[in-house]
Amino acid sequence: MTPTALPATSGVGFKPEHFAAILEAGFDGFLEVHAENYMGAGGPPHAMLGRLREDHALSIHGVGLSIGGAGPLDRDHLARLRTLCDRYAPESFSEHLAWSTHDGDFLNDLLPLPYTQETLRRVVAHVDQTQDALGRKMLLENPATYVTFAESDVPETEFLAEIARRAGCGLLLDVNNVFVSATNHGFSADAYLAAFPLDFVGEIHLGGHDAQEDDAGAPLLIDAHGAPVADPVWTLYERVLARTGPIASLIEWDNDVPDWSTLAAEAKRADALMAGAARRRAA
Amino acid sequence: MPARTVNAALAGSLLAALSIVSASAAEDKMAGKEKCYGVAMKGQNDCAAGPGTTCAGTSKVDYQGNAWKAVAKGTCTTMKTPKGMGSLEPIKM
Amino acid sequence: MSAATETAFGAALRDPGRGAPAHLAPSSGRRPERRFSVYRNNVAVSLMGALATRFPAARRIVGEAFFDELARAYVAQHPPRSPLMMMYGDDFPEFVAQAPGLDEVSYLADITRLEAARTRAYHAADADPLPASAFAALDGALDEVRLALHPSVEVVRSGHPLVTIWAMNSGEAELGPIADWSPQDALVCRPELDVFVRRLPDGGAAFLVALAGGATLADAAGRAAQEARSFDLTENLIGLIGGGLVVAIRPSQQGDAP
Repeated sequence: MTPTALPATSGVGFKPEHFAAILEAGFDGFLEVHAENYMGAGGPPHAMLGRLREDHALSIHGVGLSIGGAGPLDRDHLARLRTLCDRYAPESFSEHLAWSTHDGDFLNDLLPLPYTQETLRRVVAHVDQTQDALGRKMLLENPATYVTFAESDVPETEFLAEIARRAGCGLLLDVNNVFVSATNHGFSADAYLAAFPLDFVGEIHLGGHDAQEDDAGAPLLIDAHGAPVADPVWTLYERVLARTGPIASLIEWDNDVPDWSTLAAEAKRADALMAGAARRRAA
Repeated sequence: MPARTVNAALAGSLLAALSIVSASAAEDKMAGKEKCYGVAMKGQNDCAAGPGTTCAGTSKVDYQGNAWKAVAKGTCTTMKTPKGMGSLEPIKM
Repeated sequence: MSAATETAFGAALRDPGRGAPAHLAPSSGRRPERRFSVYRNNVAVSLMGALATRFPAARRIVGEAFFDELARAYVAQHPPRSPLMMMYGDDFPEFVAQAPGLDEVSYLADITRLEAARTRAYHAADADPLPASAFAALDGALDEVRLALHPSVEVVRSGHPLVTIWAMNSGEAELGPIADWSPQDALVCRPELDVFVRRLPDGGAAFLVALAGGATLADAAGRAAQEARSFDLTENLIGLIGGGLVVAIRPSQQGDAP
């Protein structure tokens, strides 16, 4: 049992430019929004989200809480998240295993942290504090990383599993992030997923990445969310589904946002893979 | 001006304004305006990386220096300003 | 993570003169510069992107390359203190006003003030504008009436033809010569869900600013007339009421300004 009430269907990250198309064409899946874009007092963002909420399950996905940071959580930001969750009663709230605020400066990226007993205790405390402040359980997402730390002595999968056990939160499994990190750091994505505590997973993310090279000419993948989901990521996703069955699965496309039909087609592809997995599991 | 006079002036202006506003409001009603959600501005918080290059953030931040040599080539050259057309010249360093 | 690790990482992120931080693992590569640069790039590009998104007309006026360097300098000197990117750049206009090399586009700071106000209006609290009928019912001491303006209302005063320049660089009007370089004050408001930018008539800015400050209708009209002899109260009331800028009427007995 994971702390999410999202339906086991596809979903898409909502972009304002798709508002009219979603109303016109209809969409059976759930919608996800970045919490921080809905922290204004009023205006079109809330008008659109309020309208869409009438017809869709909703996931609120925070990108600015800095749960993995060394400093204390921003209480004002927690209060804003609480207000937002109270207003929309989303089926799920999630955040990232990352940090973005240091000494009060907001760096606006999901930055990596070392995995040690010390950082584990801190992240657990931050997840506890967040869940208390929101009065609900949350999901925590595995990151895409470009560097790792010498001091890390806990594998990421174990780190996430331990957070989920101690804080009683769920996990958000970003399959693209797994593929990106595995490629960048030279580990097996399949081995990572084999070790991943899937029982805690309440939602899956699928997104596109960008391929570059590092200084040594080795592949360097970047979690850019500006392209279709790559084939190897679909393959990994299918292998996860074989173990979990259908599960809320989000298509993330944040840069070079395509037209609605392209995005909806990606969501349909996830639905088809879920249907296939359900058939095979029933057989 | 005594309060009574001010009041009378205000009342006159208000009456004139309301007659015009009410007339145009009635026209809007006849036109049967649909609920409008406004022209959406882009949400600015994302959880993705920026456009996939590794170099955009690496040029040195030097407030007075080279970075400012970028030559503005915007639309201002087509707007007539008090200083004439083609208003923006390369910054001389 | 230890605060020291985070500090070193953050410092390296913001200073391209430094290399990648020292405590990275071997799997980051023997030369992790390019990998670390992904983070450096994300921070710089996302913050500069937030400004480009918020100030499109200013960017169009000076060109992308110039604007991006202006934004880069601002980001370095004024990193955001809040995770709300919609509000990042509230003090960008002050930065632009002080920036060197912009003498030829002295109106640029005013353009950024207008664009900053537009974003604030977009996200401002919702409130229902009063219909004209609410004013028709007013009687008695009209001069003592105070008005609560819509939360989105902002006035941007300028010594340049601000609204015309903005309109030409935001797709609202054709680009072309501006023959009349008279000053223009702008009204920014969002009575329903669309953000409007309007050129205010003579004295209109003083009138609105006075009303927003809690002045009575009579005092506001008086101040406007003092500033501009051509101030036309009827014209301004049409804009005020017809434009949906008023959300509440506070009769005289309800005491002083908020």
